[in-house]
This record gives sequence, structure tokens and C-alpha cells, in this order.
Amino acid sequence: MPLFIDAQAPVIVQGMTGHQGMTHTARMLAAGTPIVAGVNPRKAGSSVAFTSADGGEVDIPVFADCQQAKDATGARASVVFVPPRFAKAAMIEAIQAKIELIVVITEGIPVADTAYCVALAQRHGVRIIGPNCPGLITLPNEQNGAGTNLGIIPDKIVSSGPLGLVSKSGTLTYQLMGELADIGFTACLGVGGDPIVGTTLLEALQSFEEDENTKACILIGEIGGDAEQEAARWAKEHMSKPIVAYIAGFTAPEGRQMGHAGAIVSGGKGTAQAKQDALEAVGIRVGKTPGQTAEIMREVLAGAAR
Amino acid sequence: MDLYEYQARELLEEQGIATPRAIFAQNSHEVASAADEIGYPCVIKAQVKTGHRGQAGGIKLASNRDDAILTSEQILPMSIHGHKCSGVLVAGAKNVLHEYYVSISVDRASRDFDVLATANGGTEVEVIAKEHPEAVKRLHIGALEDFDLAAATEMAASIGFYHADVDQAAQILLKMWRAFKENDATLVEINPLAKVGDPEDESSKTLCALDAKISLDDNAAFRHDGWERFKDPIQTDPYEQQAREHGLHYVHLNGQVGVIGNGAGLVMSSLDAVSGAGEEQGTGVKPANFLDIGGGASAEVMSRSLSIVLSDPQVLSVMVNIYGGITRCDLVAEGILQALQTLNSAKPIVIRFDGNAAQEGLSTISQANNPRLHVAKTMEEAAQTAASLAAQFSPSSSWPSKENR
Repeated sequence: MPLFIDAQAPVIVQGMTGHQGMTHTARMLAAGTPIVAGVNPRKAGSSVAFTSADGGEVDIPVFADCQQAKDATGARASVVFVPPRFAKAAMIEAIQAKIELIVVITEGIPVADTAYCVALAQRHGVRIIGPNCPGLITLPNEQNGAGTNLGIIPDKIVSSGPLGLVSKSGTLTYQLMGELADIGFTACLGVGGDPIVGTTLLEALQSFEEDENTKACILIGEIGGDAEQEAARWAKEHMSKPIVAYIAGFTAPEGRQMGHAGAIVSGGKGTAQAKQDALEAVGIRVGKTPGQTAEIMREVLAGAAR
Repeated sequence: MDLYEYQARELLEEQGIATPRAIFAQNSHEVASAADEIGYPCVIKAQVKTGHRGQAGGIKLASNRDDAILTSEQILPMSIHGHKCSGVLVAGAKNVLHEYYVSISVDRASRDFDVLATANGGTEVEVIAKEHPEAVKRLHIGALEDFDLAAATEMAASIGFYHADVDQAAQILLKMWRAFKENDATLVEINPLAKVGDPEDESSKTLCALDAKISLDDNAAFRHDGWERFKDPIQTDPYEQQAREHGLHYVHLNGQVGVIGNGAGLVMSSLDAVSGAGEEQGTGVKPANFLDIGGGASAEVMSRSLSIVLSDPQVLSVMVNIYGGITRCDLVAEGILQALQTLNSAKPIVIRFDGNAAQEGLSTISQANNPRLHVAKTMEEAAQTAASLAAQFSPSSSWPSKENR
């Protein structure tokens, strides 16, 4: 079974013709992601020229909506770059077209809109990743084939290997990918920094547990909510593979939002310390810095190999 | 965004939830005329965006005009848990017969909305939840569903509202839900929702929201005129103000090392690393701010960010931590040099670049040949260097701000 989505799955980009959409569509295509269409009702019928992975030119057609794009191309995944005020409609459109995997990069979506779309996606058997996330990268291996890149995660940092990574933060994802580049990854997933997200840390661990190529997991958390505690409770009962964690935000003051909408300690809840304690209580080691986290992972892998 | 009580009341009143008559006042003259209008005794309540106001002496009863003036003169200059008082609410005093707690909030774990209520109101619901978990009732409102009168009535009955109050309580729950939904709130809390009136006269008894706490979703500001009407009258931190005007995520802290990075997680991580380094080095040096330049920042954004951080007299050294994904380190390097051209600052800056165009960025920095610029290989090293430079920069070797830790 492929991890999250198979590499050949055709991908559409909602908001492709915007600045962010253009930049990252070009990047994803160069990384080999099979992008087949863009969606923009005002530019339906046109197409945009990009450079493909092999250096040739490729024309990506623009459709009026997700259903038309899916009918014409067989799209199975979508990457969403549309601005916050249009994001709810964009997500609903993709869900109703039964696009299997919707990766929402957009930052700044009202939490009520996200809650609605996540519930609707669950009802339709569709998975949302994000919002406010860097997306998903899977690396080439026998099961995944070529690997795919859905979102804004730089693709040149890492190669294939036994690690799975799940994170609330984009740049900390890149940081740990960089630290452990020589070991390599099966997939790296940014779940997003919003209070409600479509795929939780726990759900990502579940996928890594089921994936036979993944041998160990890195979990990167941050202040706010208790997704880390939930993941820890689940891992205690169900996870056979080692997890090493990192938590950001020990120095964050109470009641202040630290960049991400979800990164806030309120009423004494959601502290980094509480997350560390919950993880350590179930035997998950937590690094003090990203560098130390990578070192612990090396130790864990060496221990497992012995 | 958290609202003051006087603002939160407005939103409840718009839905028709009963509240005591009250007037917001910002000086003792206003308080005197407000109190005269409300009548005596009245309650003078500090308007601060934090809890436990009562215990901190921020809520007092005034029995006459002189008392109201005197009390307000005590409360107005107060800071409660570091929050400056923005004014007082002069409210009619009620004869309280019973206190309930009700709230509606975003439930991050179940990814829907949570109605929480207890018949033992008046104190912290967390305390009640711990000591009498059976007394706290919880109901989820699904994100695809609505909350209707039948559900509200069932909830009200299960909370343990006195028989005669159930219908009224159900109406209040329903109105709270409307206030929550229509205003894109993340929290609507009434504590206490009080039964007030004359104990001898049944017809005088009614449910009344004696306090209100509402938080709004900043991400939804675009469909509410930017929450213009809830602008904080209190002067905000000038650095936070400047950063906000430029669309930067900035939080002012009370340490000595300015921290700039890309991505909220990486910046938080950098703060922790600085704090850890200060502890290890025995100096107690701490981060002075959180500043996220975001993804794909230009040289201008970096230059502006560095200018804001360097203009803070509290800052003694700066750590710039960039992992270039979309962000290009060479542009960040240009931004740093641009800022230094216009600023006359002797403060040392420690730079750590990795990822996109890191080599180009580092060579730009080294070509500048500026002794104030230090390069670190890892973010841990950058934090160590920045912390130790901040300690050296200060006149005394041991940092004296123990109360800041």
C-alpha cells in the first residue's frame, strides 16, 4: 500500500494561476509530481506552459471547477493555494468531486470553515492535509514507486530511507529532513499549524505504522492543543516502531499566539512541557533541540540494528 | 483576539441575552457620572484581558459616589497579571441566588464545537472539572450540524438548571451559539450565568449574564470589517505595532537576544535554544522577541525585520536563523546588509543559513567584512554565540533581570 497516496496519482492545483500557485506548480512539476490540471473559474479553457521534470515544455490546462478537472484528467489529489476567503468553497468543491487527497497550503483560513470542511471530507471518505501546512513529500521506494511532492516542501533535501516524519511546522520539517538527510525518509508530512487540521499527528503515525518501509518516526510538535498527547496515548497502545519527538515553544508566554494560529498556550493548557511529559511518559524520547533530536534518532536506529 | 468584558457583553446583548446595566468608563469623572446613572450599590470592574480579576482586587462594590470614585482611582492604574487596565465597567449590582457556568468553544481534539456547563458556576470551571467531574456537562455540536432548541433544552435540563429555569437557559444557550457562529468566535463564556432577583418574589427571578468572555478568530477578521469596533484602546507595544503594520508575526518578550527566523516552528525553536544557551552559560540570557519573516521573504522584509528588532533597546544581540525552503538565504543576506547601511547599531548579529541559496548568502555576508556579523554552522551554535555575545555586551557579566525569567 502506498503511503498517503501513490506517486502516479494525477494532481490538480487549485489556485494554480496565482503567484504562489505558479511558483509551486513549477517546482512540483520539476520534482516529477504528475500535475495534470489547474482550477480557476475565470480562466477556464486556457492553459499555462511549464517546464516538466525532463526539461521539456508542458501545457497544463485550466478548468472551471474540480469536477470538470477530474472528469477530464482522472485527478486524485489536489493542492490548494487559494486565498483564505475562498478556501472553504475550494475545499468543498474538491470534496464533492471526491478528490481523494486535498492538501491545503493556504494560511489564515477561519477555523469554523476548516471544521466544516474537515467534517464534510470525513463524511465523503476524503482526506484533507492542512490547512496552513507545507504539504506532503513521499520518497521513491518499491511500494511508492517514484515518490511525489504535494505542496511546498523542498525536494532536494533528502533521499529515500527508513524514516517517517510528521510535523506541525514547515521549516522545522526541513530542518530535521536536513539533519537526517543521510539516513533518508519514506515520507514527510506537515499537518499544519492551525487549531483544527484535516490529518492529525496521530493519523499520520497510524499511516507510518502501517507502512512497511517506515522503520522509525520523527514527530515534531509545538505549543497549543493536545494533539501530541493524543498521539502519545495512541502510540503507547498501537505503535510498534520507535518514535523520537521534538517540541517547540518552551519559552512561549501564556496567551500569546506564536505565529501559527494554533500555537498558543491558554489557561495553562497546551504547554510544551505538558507535551514533553506526555510523550516521555509513554517512552518516547524528546530532543531539546532539532540537532539533539536527530542525534537521538541515530542512537535509536543504531540500537534497533544491534 | 480576546475581547474585554464590555465588548463581549455587546455581542451577547445583540443576541438578546440579559446582562446587568453597565457603562464603560476610563477616568474617575466618567465613573462618577456612570455610577450615578446606574445607581448604588454598583460594581466597579477592571477591564483587562485576563482572568482572576476578583482575586487581584480588580472587582469592587461601591455603595455611593465617593466610594465609586475612590475605588476607580485604585483600579484604573492597576496592571493585573501584566495586563494594563483599559478602563472600568460600572455595572448594576444584582442579588445573586445561584451561579451557573456555560461556554461554547472550538474543540481542537474532536474538531467540532463544545458546549460546557455546570450548575456550580462562579469559579474556575477547570477546578470544578477536577474536583467534581460529574458536575460538568459536555455536549458536542458537530461542524456540519446546527444547535437547535430541542438540543439546547436537553442540554439545559442535563446541566441541572432548576426546573423553572430550563426554558430560559435553553434560550440563552441557543443565543450563545448564535453569538459564537455569527461572530466567528472561538470562545463564548458566561461565568457566572446568574439567577438573580428577590428570593421572596418568584416573578422577579431571572437568568442574567454577570460576566462574559469572548475570543474571536483572527483569521475571520476579513469578513467582519477587520474587527474595527473591537480595536484595543490601550496603546499596544510599539514594536508589535510596527511589525503588525508590516504584516510580520512578532511577539515582544523580555530577554536580550533578538530572534528572527522563517517559519513559526523554527522561530519558536530558536527562542528555546537561546533560552537553553543562557541557562547553560549561567547568564540567564533570554530571547527578546519572536519574529517570523514567513515563507519566501524578500530582502526588504528582512531589512525591515532587522530594523525593528535592532531598534529595541532591550536587544543586545540578534540571532538570525533561516532554513531556506522557498526563502532564499542570499536575499536574506542582502536584507541584513541593507538594514545595517541605514542603522547605526553596534549590536552583534549571529547568522545561521541552511537550505536554499545558503552558500550564496554566506558569501555575501563574508564579503561585507563587517565585524558585527558572526556566522554559525548550526542553529544550536548560533543560539550559544548570540546568548554569550548578549551577556558580554551588557555592562555586568551576570544578567540582573531575575524577575523577568
